[in-house]
Amino acid sequence: MIKLIFRRFLWGIPVLFFVASLTFSLMHVVPGGPFDKEKNLPPAIQKNIEEKYHLDKPVITQYLLYMLSLSKGDLGPSYKYLGRNVNDIISQTFPVSLELGLWAFVIAIILGISTGIISAVRVNTLIDRVSQFVATAGISMPNFVLAVLLILIFSEYLKALPAALWESSRYAILPSLTLSLGPAAYISRLTRGSIIDILGKDYIKTARAKGLSEPLILFKHVIRNSISPIITILGPLGATLVTGSFIVEYIFSIPGMGKFFITAVTNRDYPLIMGITLIYSALIIIANIFVDILYSVIDPRVRMK
Amino acid sequence: MKRWKFFERIKRDKIALFSIAIIIITCAAALFAPYLSPYPFAVQDPGAILKGPSLKYLLGTDRLGRDLLSRIIYGSRVSMLVGFTSSLLALIIGAIYGAISGLAGQRTDNFMMRIVDIVYSLPDLLLIILISVVIGRSVIGIFLALALVSWVTIARLVRGEALRLKEQLFVEAARGLGASNLRIIFVHLLPNTVGPLIVTLTFRIPAAILAESTLSFVGLGITPPFSSWGTLANDGWSAIKFYPHLIIFPSFAIFLTILSFNYLGDTLRDFLDPEMRYK
Amino acid sequence: MSQQDTKERENPPLSPFFKGGLILAFILVPFLFPACKNRNTESRQIKGEKVFRMVIASEPPTLDWSLATDNVSFHVITNIMEGLTQYDDDLNPVPAIAKKWETSEDGKKITFFLRDNVFWNDKVPVTAYDFEYSWKRLLNPATGAEYAYFLYDLVNAYEYNSGIIKDQALVGVKAKSGKVLEVTLKKPAVYFPSLTTFMVTFPLRKDIVEKYKDRWTDPGNIVTNGPFKLWKWEHEYKLELTANKDYYGEKVKIDWIKMYVVGENNTALTLYETGDLDMVSIPPLAVNYYKKSKEYINTPQLRGYYYGFNIRKKPFDDMRVRRAFSMAIDRKRITDVLKGGEIPASSWIPKGMFGYNENIGLKFNPEEARRLLAEAGYSSGKGFPEVNITFNTDAENKLIAENVQSQLKENLNINVKLDNQEWKVYLKTLKTKPPEIFRLGWGADYPDPDNFMNLFTSSSGNNNTDWVNPEYDRLIAMGAGTKDRALRLKIYDDAQKILCEEDVPIMPLFVASQNLLVKKYIKGFKPNAMDILYLKKVAVEK
Repeated sequence: MIKLIFRRFLWGIPVLFFVASLTFSLMHVVPGGPFDKEKNLPPAIQKNIEEKYHLDKPVITQYLLYMLSLSKGDLGPSYKYLGRNVNDIISQTFPVSLELGLWAFVIAIILGISTGIISAVRVNTLIDRVSQFVATAGISMPNFVLAVLLILIFSEYLKALPAALWESSRYAILPSLTLSLGPAAYISRLTRGSIIDILGKDYIKTARAKGLSEPLILFKHVIRNSISPIITILGPLGATLVTGSFIVEYIFSIPGMGKFFITAVTNRDYPLIMGITLIYSALIIIANIFVDILYSVIDPRVRMK
Repeated sequence: MKRWKFFERIKRDKIALFSIAIIIITCAAALFAPYLSPYPFAVQDPGAILKGPSLKYLLGTDRLGRDLLSRIIYGSRVSMLVGFTSSLLALIIGAIYGAISGLAGQRTDNFMMRIVDIVYSLPDLLLIILISVVIGRSVIGIFLALALVSWVTIARLVRGEALRLKEQLFVEAARGLGASNLRIIFVHLLPNTVGPLIVTLTFRIPAAILAESTLSFVGLGITPPFSSWGTLANDGWSAIKFYPHLIIFPSFAIFLTILSFNYLGDTLRDFLDPEMRYK
Repeated sequence: MSQQDTKERENPPLSPFFKGGLILAFILVPFLFPACKNRNTESRQIKGEKVFRMVIASEPPTLDWSLATDNVSFHVITNIMEGLTQYDDDLNPVPAIAKKWETSEDGKKITFFLRDNVFWNDKVPVTAYDFEYSWKRLLNPATGAEYAYFLYDLVNAYEYNSGIIKDQALVGVKAKSGKVLEVTLKKPAVYFPSLTTFMVTFPLRKDIVEKYKDRWTDPGNIVTNGPFKLWKWEHEYKLELTANKDYYGEKVKIDWIKMYVVGENNTALTLYETGDLDMVSIPPLAVNYYKKSKEYINTPQLRGYYYGFNIRKKPFDDMRVRRAFSMAIDRKRITDVLKGGEIPASSWIPKGMFGYNENIGLKFNPEEARRLLAEAGYSSGKGFPEVNITFNTDAENKLIAENVQSQLKENLNINVKLDNQEWKVYLKTLKTKPPEIFRLGWGADYPDPDNFMNLFTSSSGNNNTDWVNPEYDRLIAMGAGTKDRALRLKIYDDAQKILCEEDVPIMPLFVASQNLLVKKYIKGFKPNAMDILYLKKVAVEK
């Protein structure tokens, strides 16, 4: 088992290498460079800057230079935030995104699983229909619309929650809610389906026949057995929540890493683009390995490949 | 036989009927936009800038004095086109890739799946942004960008089905009769995965429509003269307090359509393949 | 469909330990990340101190004033630093660290005399040597400063910056003593004291820069001489400035400045509404809503917005066509749509700048436009090829382009296609193959017509039109060195007529404008046309 996990992690390295190469070449195909500005620079100055950042060298040389420093764990200097390293930028902003993502993750799971269970137990009743409608509605709205709606209601009208910024835990409520409603809806539907399915199985009927009480059956047999499909999506979901927070971070002015997804590309801040891509790819890889481990712990018959 | 059962079931399900009606209306709006919209979508009325709903302009006007209703009707064109095209494209790439990988097995399969691993571990959004900046400026750029990030899921799904079907008698029999790989893929394998694929499609379409609206938010959405629901919603989201009609109507169009697709997808899935729920 | 259930789904029961652990883990995880909690604990703010809260649009790319180029860094730096000169409320350069300056008879030598009582915030006096070091650092090719060209008027500055000469002693700046700075120019430049208000010309502490290298701008390392000093810099989130007790000038009226990094205008507006900010700029769609508010302030900016023609491309090689286009657009209709107090413009030098003349330029005249077009061979638009207007992706640019598109259709019966490109892609296109009609803007680096008019000379790196007119070049070169105001005015009038009435390589559309909300308890706040924010004059009277 441990050997297998180790091998999976090892395989992550070449994957990251390919991701780095792919992003690097894509990035350099994109027209426009980091120091192109509205006001054109005199050629002499353009040349000075290119020399300073090795941008005057052939792309292949730049690639090799980058890979060399990457292998030492150095992600290079940012071209936009002068005097700051990509390592610094990431280590300052990533924890914020991670925290926001985890809050959203927890909300999504609690909200999703609980409404899913209620729906499944009361299947085809009004509660079921309403909660499933709300759940579907949750994945039917662009994030930014949801965000402004929440801000308008909770900050401007009710004056109950801060509209933006990142000072204390209260400030995390609206953004993580915005981020989590979609996934919560997804989990809710998944849970409902899975439980309904298990409820129809023979061993549940047996348990009922044995005269076990309904809550006991539900908690002891049903939920435990219906959890595996939910586990499978948790990995990708966790990764999406941490990586997909850019709109939320932008609208709520949260000092996370998500907004670099846009700004690093629009600024052509090559080292920063590379840095965040690598971090997020690593995260996705780890999330998937984690799920595989969880999965094989839950169900030993599912062997890790 | 099955088809009839489906209609019978749908007939009893009011929400499913409603969803289908919405989807049909949206498709009709997209197809017949010039006949349905009260005004040409670009015509500007300098005397009616940012007016709320009125009899003349049922859903109000935008910043240039254009009729919002007409723009939403025309917007359905782009949104549906983005939804359908990018999903179909992803479906085709993914299905063929997955089928080949699954059937070929062993080394080829292993290699092809490693590529899927790599694409899978790239952050979607970054890839979309980079691709649409590279291809840029056109609707096609957006189709491709959205398709290129979503084909992997489909490839995995089809590969799984392929692995399963491969072991089954009729495929082995076909192979025994000397059928080529290509024939096996198109005649035996893909038709057998049609069910899950249709279900996937009904979920992919709304996802693509939403993704396009996200792209609009970043400023990489559909370019003028076209406008999608995503660009309309994005033009209006900041005005929610000042000109609420600008955001309410486009997002309601998005909301209703996506809701309908999702519900239809659910119904189809429950019907075609209850096991699919897990995926 | 075959529905054989190959994978058994009846899982064996989970161990209770595992289940409990899983749930516990999910609930506990967020509490393991306390980053969010105690952000504000170290702030030493005392009750009753005056705080001014504002937003900046992005993380400042750098606070190194040799390297900074953008507005955000500028907002911060102009409040923690001072240079030789500074603008007054009407954007005239007035003495700051320099108490006076003298220009030689031929206009090529300027001597700045520094005040005696100016100190850095570590109590070291500010000297002319600090200026000399700073300017030479700016021009040093190894620094890679984008704004090095600000000092290209100095003797040998360009040569040193471009590597033609290596000896920095030849550059035309010299500290004669601790308090006297002598500047030698290539040619007379009447606007030079305006240049020294700009951040790239501020003095630098050689010892600090060399000691801390890339990190010298971090709080704790950075040493400044302005009314405020950098106290805290939480990247991507907030900067805090405090009053500098060692500042030579009048005592400042606020103790703290908090600058939050808020990229989205609408978020900032909401924060203003909820009382978390004292000043905010209003996003375009909201301007109308606040126009009657007592907190609303509108200030036209020295920032022009124009459409340029690539005059090599047919049919725009014909100046009658270009004139017809310029006459067929009613600028008023554009500003009506924008609703932000923008000023319609048919001439290039913006309102509020020396040389502005609203009578210059082609006025809206559709009949004359149609006549000109017919004269060029396209009677009522017949045979005119479809035209592309290219702009960088942005909601406002799109709106303007769509408006122009419909006006050209109405007035000239010409079909226009719109093409937008992502910003950097667009800049690349402009450089390599300028589109037939493109959108650009220009914001003043210093409030002098030279800065605007120089743009379209044949030697300008920012002239994307390919238009060359020797007479225009001659006028602009003459204008830069003319001291007599009446004569100078006449020169720019003539040049503007060539640019906006005769050759028309560009059509100016409007002058941008800034829309702010400022709380009533903020006193002494005076916005200016260059968006320079001197907070030392501001008071909070809550």
